[in-house]
Amino acid sequence: MSVTTAPRTDPAPPRPARAGGARGSRWHNRGWVLLFLAPSAVPLLMFTIVPMLGSVWVSMHSWNLISPMRWAGLENYRSLLTDPTTRTVFTNTLIYCVGYLPLVYAGGLGLALVLNQRLRGRSLFRAAFFLPVVTSWVVVALVWKWLLNPTNGLVNTVLGAVGLPQPGWWTDPTWALPAVILSSAWKDLGFVMVIMLAGLQAIPADVLEAAWADGANAWQRFWRVTLPLLSPSTFFVVVISLINGFQVFDQVYVMTGGGPSGSSQVVVGQIYDLTFRYGRAGEASALSWLLFAVILAITAVQIRGQRRWVHHA
Amino acid sequence: MPDVLAPATDVPTATPSGPTTAPPPRPRRRRPRPTRLLTYAFVVVGAVVMLFPFLWTVITSITPGGSLAGGPTLFVRNPTLEAYRVLLDTLPMWRIALNSFWVAVASTGLQLVTGAMAAYGFARLEFRGKNVVFGLYLATLMVPLQVLVVPLFIEMKTLGLQDTYAGLLAPSIASAFGVFLLKQAIESVPRELDEAATIDGASHLRIFLQIVVPLIRPALATVAVFAFMASWNSFLWPLVIIRSPEFMTLPLGLATLQGQFTTAWDVVMAGSVFSIVPIAVVYLLAQRHIIAGVAHTGIK
Amino acid sequence: MRNTARRSAAPAILAITLALSACAQGSATRTEEPAESGGPVTVRYMNFSANGGHEEDLDAIKAAFESANPDVTVQIETTPYDDYFTKLQTAVAGGTAGDAFELNYENFVTYSSNGSLAPLKNVETASYKPSLLEAFSADGTQYGLPESFSNVVLFYNKDLFAKAGVDEPTADWTWADEQAAAEKLTDEKAGVWGDYQPISFFEYYKAVAQAGGEFLNADKTQAAFDSDAGRAAAEWLVGKSGTTMPTEADGAGTPDFDSTLFKDGKLAMWHTGIWMFSGMADAPFEWDIVVEPGDAEKASAMFTNGVVVNAASKNQEAAERWIAFLTSSDEMVDKRLETSWELPPVADEAKLASYLDAGAPANRQAVFASLDATVLPPVIERQQEMQDAVGKELSAAAAGRITVDEAVSNAAKAVDALLK
Repeated sequence: MSVTTAPRTDPAPPRPARAGGARGSRWHNRGWVLLFLAPSAVPLLMFTIVPMLGSVWVSMHSWNLISPMRWAGLENYRSLLTDPTTRTVFTNTLIYCVGYLPLVYAGGLGLALVLNQRLRGRSLFRAAFFLPVVTSWVVVALVWKWLLNPTNGLVNTVLGAVGLPQPGWWTDPTWALPAVILSSAWKDLGFVMVIMLAGLQAIPADVLEAAWADGANAWQRFWRVTLPLLSPSTFFVVVISLINGFQVFDQVYVMTGGGPSGSSQVVVGQIYDLTFRYGRAGEASALSWLLFAVILAITAVQIRGQRRWVHHA
Repeated sequence: MPDVLAPATDVPTATPSGPTTAPPPRPRRRRPRPTRLLTYAFVVVGAVVMLFPFLWTVITSITPGGSLAGGPTLFVRNPTLEAYRVLLDTLPMWRIALNSFWVAVASTGLQLVTGAMAAYGFARLEFRGKNVVFGLYLATLMVPLQVLVVPLFIEMKTLGLQDTYAGLLAPSIASAFGVFLLKQAIESVPRELDEAATIDGASHLRIFLQIVVPLIRPALATVAVFAFMASWNSFLWPLVIIRSPEFMTLPLGLATLQGQFTTAWDVVMAGSVFSIVPIAVVYLLAQRHIIAGVAHTGIK
Repeated sequence: MRNTARRSAAPAILAITLALSACAQGSATRTEEPAESGGPVTVRYMNFSANGGHEEDLDAIKAAFESANPDVTVQIETTPYDDYFTKLQTAVAGGTAGDAFELNYENFVTYSSNGSLAPLKNVETASYKPSLLEAFSADGTQYGLPESFSNVVLFYNKDLFAKAGVDEPTADWTWADEQAAAEKLTDEKAGVWGDYQPISFFEYYKAVAQAGGEFLNADKTQAAFDSDAGRAAAEWLVGKSGTTMPTEADGAGTPDFDSTLFKDGKLAMWHTGIWMFSGMADAPFEWDIVVEPGDAEKASAMFTNGVVVNAASKNQEAAERWIAFLTSSDEMVDKRLETSWELPPVADEAKLASYLDAGAPANRQAVFASLDATVLPPVIERQQEMQDAVGKELSAAAAGRITVDEAVSNAAKAVDALLK
């Protein structure tokens, strides 16, 4: 990239750049690309990619943040791969994602569909459903710990009344993670709702009208028209939820602290502990690059696969 | 007041028979009453459930000596605004809130501009390595902040930006999250529109500003809400980059209310209310745009 | 696609270079501001203990110091405890930590053994309690000064004791006495618990000492608590849970759970620190304190905070003067006593006289009495990991997932691994 490719501002109309079209006026096009991408690319490069590369450097050292770094080569990666904790935190994170994503997607989409109808006070309802997204995790976690209290919580009281088993939730190693999943999905419903609502606005009315005229019933219209036309939003929600889900931290930190006995510890929780509590920043960086590899692979698979199901105008 | 935001500009949705976007209301206005009531019942119950933690926050904040231990109570014996007074006495709340506000506004504005432009670039311009570059953008979301914070801090210190507004703002000038969301939105805008404009001699800049931006307002509003929220709530980065009290933001200020051994929860919750309400307002303002969609701009 | 990937390597390499230089600079250059000649020197002081109510008290000490030392200005940066170490470590990593900063005893060893602290040159050793002063030295070098200390005593609700017709605790109570009383005081129907003692590393190391055991061996190379005393200590803590003491499911461990329970008059005995005095001052019942019951021996937990000078500071002399003032001046002693801000670390106990009649609890003498047999936390370089590992095993035993013996032996193995 050199200075000569600075954006040209002359008003000469660029050729219509149809996908797969001729590669006319390449320089001109580069100018536009630079103009549109530079404002985001430069800060991302400086303030995210540079620190990312810095953390690659850290990952090859033994460093407690307060003494000089000691070169360790790939030792941090090697020791992580043999440490059973690594396996536990990745398994927990995966379980979290698998449980969280369907709940939050189905719930958020349902809400968006309901609140896209004409209802009295609709905007206030939407705000109500959005409120948990902005409420602090400290409060939400306390509410959920109270709801899921094993002895006298509301949830177990109801389960007991209908004769179902009453799990120990956050006090039980098996049920701690499901408790976190439930509360996270609940809190993030509003997030998905907002995105799906925006997506619903982009569906042209005449398409639905045509489907209606063809005699499609509500269910058919939903499956054959609405859902396919929402696929760009769905794709976004799935990709982002998985990227964020693999980095789940706050809720685990405040709800279970990774316990009981480390049974709900997740990757970023471990990264946080290693960096700021255990003075093992090198290993933390290495662990975050293992996490990066996993997220990158999963995202790449989704981007590859999107052609098959994501509908673009 | 409730229905002002549900004008005819909305996507027509009338038949409430099931969770779906329904056909236009024109042909028949008959409403199966029970279904409609059911919808209301569902929405009202749902809203109460969702509002509960916030209500608890408010209630704790007006309970004298309020405590979080022992579960929520819905009845307050001697409600008082004392906690709010203590809050305002302990911290320069207005100053802190104003700091947070300007940082949030600046980062939201910057993210909208940088994000929409990049999204247009990815959605509408053809260039070699586009997928790789977009992949790099997404990759910036894949490393947790907890591990970036130390290298980033060292970089900022090298640039002389520690303890400045610029340093505070720098990591949120652009966000791949916004770029991605807006790219999805632009890809839903029919290409015929900009092709027609291109034939009329419009440049990319004009197409972007006059055709694309108005059409993606719901997505822009959505990004604005999340960008504002992210900045408003961000804690770890301000914690390490800021050291002068005059730059203090809300989350940092509220954290000082938590003691090492004991915490006055009524005051902490008052602070919580103080920080939640502005975002709720931002959301209410933004949602007009989130629902003012296609019909408004006359796309058929 | 492959092609462009290679092409984009150039900017990546550029960025790596940038990052490397950033890191290199970060660890090489330290505090940037040079010592100014002539005008007053500014000493930056980072701390956590003033947060939450003592900000003005620290300001007052600072003002007294500055008027006695017109050539020095102190710039105070207070961060809440929960976030302090995150901020401090990042600042140390970036070379921007204060000229002086506060450390608690548990973290001191990590910092002193990594060369981040400046050896102190002019220490008035006579001013400090010897045991506290020694806590902040390493290998014969004084790296820090004790700033304050506090200890743990047994709080008890006199009304509940009277109602249950149980004799109030005395200084020579043992675990057995406490246990017997707790059983009588626990009243499930009224929601009253007899006892509360967190199941944590900090209670455990002390209980081991009370049982007559050692936590680590003499040269700190191995855990020594996988012993009869260590098992007895674990049994003592774990055995209470669910019988005379609320469990995790009852809410134990959530923020302010224990203080609320005690203040609501639903807890008869409570093992906690003297820092809770002011919070309980307006409790609507009679309460007092007593030296914690022991078993084979008496042993009271002691916590202490210290202040140190940054090895990278350009103003070490001025910083040392500030921390000496902060830890030994009469202004500090008065301020701390007047505002119940822990206890000053001074050797001369006569200076502490006013503490004895500063209000509830009546038996403040117990605070000093428990100093006769104190035990500081065992400290190793990988401190936090040790605390977490021990806490984790104990709480597993409390929940009944493993036996007490298993918990002790697992914890000992984990500690051994951390000492390697």
